[in-house]
Amino acid sequence: MEKSVNFIAYLVYLPVVIFLTWYVAHTLFKNSKVFMLDIFQGKSEIAIATNKLFETGFYLINLGFAFWIMEIGYDVIGNRDMLEALSTKIGGFCINLGLMLFLNLYLFFRGRRKAREKTHALTLMPKTEM
Amino acid sequence: MNTLAYIIYLLITYLITVRVGLLFFRNGRIFIMELVHQDVSLTDAINRILLVGYYLVNLGYAALMISTWDTILTWTDLLVSITVMTGKIVTTLAVMHYINMLVIYFIGKRNQSILHP
Repeated sequence: MEKSVNFIAYLVYLPVVIFLTWYVAHTLFKNSKVFMLDIFQGKSEIAIATNKLFETGFYLINLGFAFWIMEIGYDVIGNRDMLEALSTKIGGFCINLGLMLFLNLYLFFRGRRKAREKTHALTLMPKTEM
Repeated sequence: MNTLAYIIYLLITYLITVRVGLLFFRNGRIFIMELVHQDVSLTDAINRILLVGYYLVNLGYAALMISTWDTILTWTDLLVSITVMTGKIVTTLAVMHYINMLVIYFIGKRNQSILHP
């Protein structure tokens, strides 16, 4: 009987998902600072704090999910089996990461729209009430 | 081998909890400041209580999860169970974090609508 290579599969899987998460989060939250500044109308302190909080949440939820689904429930035997199992896992995780990315982008765009609407409404308010 | 797994697991969860807690502690301050209308001493008090509560909930939860652990016989089992357990803890942490942010958002919204109807 051949020895199962689950351990090697895990050792490949872990660095790949950690690197992917880091890369996506790094890119997303480097560029989201502009949105945050727009949403909070230039109040940079609160914008950077919110950005950091969202970044932490992104890391937590994605790494947590990646660790959670790592277990391969059967004995992987041979290289071909390992590649198939790994590509299923990593592909599924990539799709999850993409969905999360678009969710975050939606939140940023929505926040910006709301902030715009608010300032627009304020400038349109009739001055007679004052 | 379970003892070794518990030691590694507790070390990892402790490190993650403390790091993330400090991050929240530093960045959440400004939000509480806004909620209590720039009252610095009240803000620091609330912030510290929140931090302690967070540590208690998380470390307590992490310690509780040990009772549900399978018996570990091989190195592969060790790696799998530590990673999966850490993943569960971290996911719970993330969900709690998002709930917190939503709560702060709604409280801020309510305060604003009371001040400017």
